Amino acid sequence: MESMSAVLTTGETPFLGAYSMTQEKVRQEDKAPRENRMTVGVPFVDDARMTCRGVNVYYGEKHAINNVSIDVGRNEVLAMIGPSGCGKSTFLRCLNRMNDTVEGCRVEGDIQLDELNIYDKSVDVVPLRAQVGMVFQKPNPFPKSIYDNVAYGPKIHGLASSRAELDEVVESSLKKAGLWSEVSDRLDQPGTGLSGGQQQRLCIARAIAVRPEVILMDEPCSALDPIATATVEDLISELQEQYTIVIVTHNMQQAARVSQRTAYFHLGDLIEVGSTDRIFTNPRHRLTEDYITGRFG
Amino acid sequence: MQAEKRETTMDRVSKGLARRYRRERWFRLFGLSAIVTSVCFIALLFVSIGANGWSAFQQTEVLLDIHFDKEQFDVDNLSTANYGALVKNSMQALFPDVTGRSDKRELNKLVSSGASYVLQKMVIKDTGIIGSTKKIWLPADDEVDMFLKGYISRDVAESARRLNDKQIGWIDQLVAEGRLEKKFNTIFFTAGDSREPELAGIRGAVAGSLFTLAVTLLLSFPIGVATAVYLEEFAPRNRWTDLVEVNINNLAAVPSIVFGLLGLAVFLNVFGMPRSAPLVGGLVLTLMTLPTIIIASRASLKSVPPSIREAALGVGASKMQAITHHILPLAMPGMMTGTIIGMAQALGETAPLLMIGMVAFIVDVPHGVTDPATVLPVQIYLWADSPERAFVERTSAAIMVLLGFLISMNAIAVFLRRKFERRW
Amino acid sequence: MWKKGLTLATASIILASAAVNVYAASGRDYISIVGSSTVYPFATTVAEQFGKTSKFKTPKIESTGSGGGMKLFCAGSDIDTPDITNASRRIKFSEYEKCQKNGVNEIVEVKIGYDGIVLANSKAAPQMTLSKKDIFFALAKEVPDPQGGEKLIANPYTTWKEVNPSLPDTKIEVLGPPPTSGTRDAFVELAMEGGCSKVDWIKALKETDKKYYKSVCHTVREDGAYVEAGENDNLIVQKLEANPKALGIFGFSFLDQNGDKIQGSVVEGELPTFENIAAGKYPVSRPLYFYVKKSHVGVVPGMTEFLGEFINDKAWGEEGYLSDKGLIPMPAEERKQFAADVVALKPLVMSK
Ligand SMILES: Nc1ncnc2c1ncn2[C@@H]1O[C@H](COP(=O)(O)OP(=O)(O)O)[C@@H](O)[C@H]1O
Ligand SMILES: [Mg+2]
Repeated sequence: MESMSAVLTTGETPFLGAYSMTQEKVRQEDKAPRENRMTVGVPFVDDARMTCRGVNVYYGEKHAINNVSIDVGRNEVLAMIGPSGCGKSTFLRCLNRMNDTVEGCRVEGDIQLDELNIYDKSVDVVPLRAQVGMVFQKPNPFPKSIYDNVAYGPKIHGLASSRAELDEVVESSLKKAGLWSEVSDRLDQPGTGLSGGQQQRLCIARAIAVRPEVILMDEPCSALDPIATATVEDLISELQEQYTIVIVTHNMQQAARVSQRTAYFHLGDLIEVGSTDRIFTNPRHRLTEDYITGRFG
Repeated sequence: MQAEKRETTMDRVSKGLARRYRRERWFRLFGLSAIVTSVCFIALLFVSIGANGWSAFQQTEVLLDIHFDKEQFDVDNLSTANYGALVKNSMQALFPDVTGRSDKRELNKLVSSGASYVLQKMVIKDTGIIGSTKKIWLPADDEVDMFLKGYISRDVAESARRLNDKQIGWIDQLVAEGRLEKKFNTIFFTAGDSREPELAGIRGAVAGSLFTLAVTLLLSFPIGVATAVYLEEFAPRNRWTDLVEVNINNLAAVPSIVFGLLGLAVFLNVFGMPRSAPLVGGLVLTLMTLPTIIIASRASLKSVPPSIREAALGVGASKMQAITHHILPLAMPGMMTGTIIGMAQALGETAPLLMIGMVAFIVDVPHGVTDPATVLPVQIYLWADSPERAFVERTSAAIMVLLGFLISMNAIAVFLRRKFERRW
Repeated sequence: MWKKGLTLATASIILASAAVNVYAASGRDYISIVGSSTVYPFATTVAEQFGKTSKFKTPKIESTGSGGGMKLFCAGSDIDTPDITNASRRIKFSEYEKCQKNGVNEIVEVKIGYDGIVLANSKAAPQMTLSKKDIFFALAKEVPDPQGGEKLIANPYTTWKEVNPSLPDTKIEVLGPPPTSGTRDAFVELAMEGGCSKVDWIKALKETDKKYYKSVCHTVREDGAYVEAGENDNLIVQKLEANPKALGIFGFSFLDQNGDKIQGSVVEGELPTFENIAAGKYPVSRPLYFYVKKSHVGVVPGMTEFLGEFINDKAWGEEGYLSDKGLIPMPAEERKQFAADVVALKPLVMSK
C-alpha cells in the first residue's frame, strides 16, 4: 500500500492556500507549470462517500494510474475529464473493482466506500457492485426483454420477494430513468430493439434497479445523438438527488452542465480537482488550461 | 489552377478504377468457379448414388397360394414346422410339370429363403389360419429381383449368368400371371443385416448408430462445454493451460483409428467392457468428438461480446451467474452447431469402431447400449464388400440413408444458428 | 442448463457402469466369432441360418482378418474372448504356441472348404491362358536375367507377349489386393511361388537359402504393372469392366456373381470353375478354416448346435447353401473326417 505522505504533500501545494471559493482570478504566472505532476486544487471533501488514497494501477508493466488521491462527495456529480488514454476509465473501474476482471491488471492503494476498504480481502465484489453500479460507454442491454433487463439485478440479489414487488421495482426504475412512458406497453420486447438513447436509459434503469449508492458512468453519451444526450443529461441531474455519481466524459460542456466537481487527468496523473465552475473558468494548472482551451485533447 | 488539380486527382482515380474492378471481377469469377465445381462434384455424387440406389427401395415379391396344411403343424411347437415345404408345395402347384430333383431345386430357388420366416411369423401371430389357403406376397430371391430390375441380362450365355434359361422361363410365366411384382421394400427399413440381400435391412445399423450417438452426445456435450467454459472463463493463462490447449488442438487432428486403439486398450482391456457394444463405441467417439466440441464451444464463448459480461458483472452478478445467465445462452447456438458437426463426424466414422469390434455381422436389432451392434457406415462398408450383386444397390441405398441423416443434422445446425443468432 | 448437463453426464456414467455390471454378471448368450474377411460371407450365412432356425441368438461375427482374429482368439479363455475364429489359411505354429501360452489349450480345427483365387478380365477382351510361370514372370519384382546366368534383374517385361510369345500384345496391368490381404498371401504363395519354382536354380535356393528364395518368389513388382486396388473385390470387378486391358485378382465368389461381365483366365490349362476347383484341378485354390475354443463349448449357449449346423451337408455339402455363396466344398471323404473331428471335439496338436 502506498504511503499517505505523498498525498499529504500533494495537499500542501502552495496553491492550496490560495484557493478560495470566491473564485478570484489566478494570475497566469502563479499557475502550476506543465512539469508539475502534483494534484492542485481541492481533491478532498468533508463527509466523503468514497475516498481514494495513493491509488496506482498497472496493466502488466504499464503504469496506467499514478498515485491518485481524491474524494467523492455525497450526492454530488463528479466529472472526470482528460485526453483520451489518460486513465479515466481505468480509475473509474477501480471504484467498483471492475478491473478485477481484466487479466494482468493490478490495483494498489486505498479506496474506501463509507469507511470500508473495498480492496480488503474480506470484501465480496458481488454486494460491492450492487452498491456501486455502473453504466458503460456503449449501451449494453442484455439480449433479453426490457423487463428482464431491469429485473435481473433485483432478482439475483433477492431484492424483491414477490412478482408484484419485482414489477414495482421495474416500473419505478424505468420511471426514474425516464423511459417508462416510452416502453410501458412493450416490456416483453427485447431491450436490444430500442434506439441507442433508449438503450442507454435502459442500462441506467438496470443499474438503479438494485438501488446502488454510487453510480459510475463511463462516457454514457458518447454513442448517442444530441437529443438522446440531452435526455440522459437531464436524467443525471435528477438522479443526483438520491445518488452519488461519477461520470467520465470527454465532452467539456457536458461536464460543465451536469457536475459540481471536476477532476482533470493527464497521462495517468490526477492534475487538478475543483468545483466545475472554477475549473472551467479559472484553471490553476497549465495542462488543465491547455485542455479546456482546446490546445489538445 | 484549382480545377485542373482536381481533374488530375479524378483522372488518377479513374485510371486505377478499371484495374480495381478487373481484380474484383477476377476474384468473383474465381470464387464462383470454385463453388460451381464443388456443386458439380456433389451433384455427381448424389446422382450416381441415387441412380445406383433408388432401385433398392423396391423389392420383387412373388404371390403364392399358401395352403397351411394341418398335417404340417404341431400346435405346441409352431416354430419347428416345415414352412419351407409350404412354399415348395405352392410353387409345385404353380408349375406342376416341373419334375426331377435338380429342376425342382432350381424352381424353389426363385423364392427367398426368407419366405418361410414370413409364414412362421404369420402362423405364430394367428394360429387361426392353419388349415386355410391364403394368397400371400412373399419375397423373391435376389437373383430374380436383379433380373426384373434389369441387372441380369438374358442376352448373355446361360453359363455366364446366375439364372438359367429354365428359370428365366418360369419368371416370365410368373410375371405374365401377375404373380411377380416389384413392391416397396419394407424389409430394407425393418430388418437387421442378412446375408441374403432380399432380407437385409438397415434397421439394426440405424439403431446401433442412434445408441452410439446417444452415448456420444450425452457424454461429449456436457464434458465438452464444461471444459470449454473452464478453459475460457476460469483457467489462469499459464504454461499448463497453453499445454492443454495445444493438446486439445492436436487431438482434433489425430487419426480416428488411434481413438479406437485407445478404446480397445482402456475400455475393453482395462475396464472389461463388452466388445461390439454401442456403449464403448459411444465412449470412443466421445474421445474423438470432444476436441471438436471444445474448440467450437471456446470459439463461441469468445464471440460473446465482452460488453455483455461487463453488464452482468456491473449489476453485481457473480462470475458463475454471468456465465450461466448470459454468456452460455448466447454461446449455446455456436456450441450446439459445433456439437452437431462433431456428431455428424461421429456418425460417419468406421475406423475406430473396427478396433472395438463394431465391424461385425449382427442380425438382431440392438435394444440397448450393451447389445452387440454395428453402425450405418460399417453396414455400408460390409455390404460394399459382399459378392452378391443385389448388395450393390443396397449399399447405395444405405449411403442415401446415411446422407439423409447427415444432411438433416447439418440442416438442424444451420437452423439453430439462424434461429438463435442474436444481434447485440 | 449447466447443472442439468452435469447431472446428465454423471447419470449416464453411472448408468453405463451399471449396464456393464449387468453384462458381466449375465455372461454372454450369443456366440462370438472373429476372423478372416474371406470366410466372413460363409460364416455369416451359417450364423444367420442358425439364428433363424434354432432357439439361440444369431452369432456375432466380426470381420477382423485372419491374423487379427487369431490374436483375439488366443488372447485368453475367459468368456469375453471369441469362441471361434475364421481363417483363410491354417493356424501358424507361432499362433498355436501363443494360444497355449494364454491358456487356450484345446482348439478344434475345422476345414470348411476351398476358395479359388482367380485371375479375370473383362468379357470385352479375349480370355487369357496363363501358366504359373507366366504369372511369376509378369508380376515378380525381380526375374531371372533373360540373357542367361543365375542372376536376377529388375522385371523388364511390359507386355504379356514379352513374357510368353503366345500371349496377346497388351500391357501388363494387374489389379490386386494389398499385402495386408489374405487373398494376396495365398495368390503369392500358390501362383507366383508355383511359377518361380519352375526355374531350376531358384528352386535349388529353397534348400540352401530359404529366406532368399521366399523373397524372390513372393515379392510383387512395384513399378505400376501391379496395381494395389484395395481390399474391396467389388471395386476390382468394376475397374475390370471399365478397363478391358486389365486383369484382376480376387476370390472365386466374385467371379461366380459377375459371370456376365468378367471371365476367369485359364491357369495351367484349367478354368476356374466350381467343378474344377472342387476336383482340385484348378491350381490356385486354398483351404478355409475355422478354429473352435473347446473350453467355451457347453458354456456359451448354442455352440454345439452351431457347429452341427456348419458340418451339415445342407450347409457345406456339394448342394449346400454355402456353395450358392461361392464356397467350394471339400470331397465327401474329407467332410466326413472333419465332421467326425468336430463331433468328438478333437483338439489340434501341432509341432514345429
Ligand atoms: N486492458 C488493458 N490492458 C492494457 N492496457 C490498458 C488496458 N485498458 C487500458 N489500458 C491502457 O491504460 C491507459 C488508460 O486507458 P483508459 O483508462 O481506457 O483511458 P481513457 O478512458 O482515459 O481514455 C491507456 O494507455 C490504455 O492503453
Ligand atoms: Mg475510456
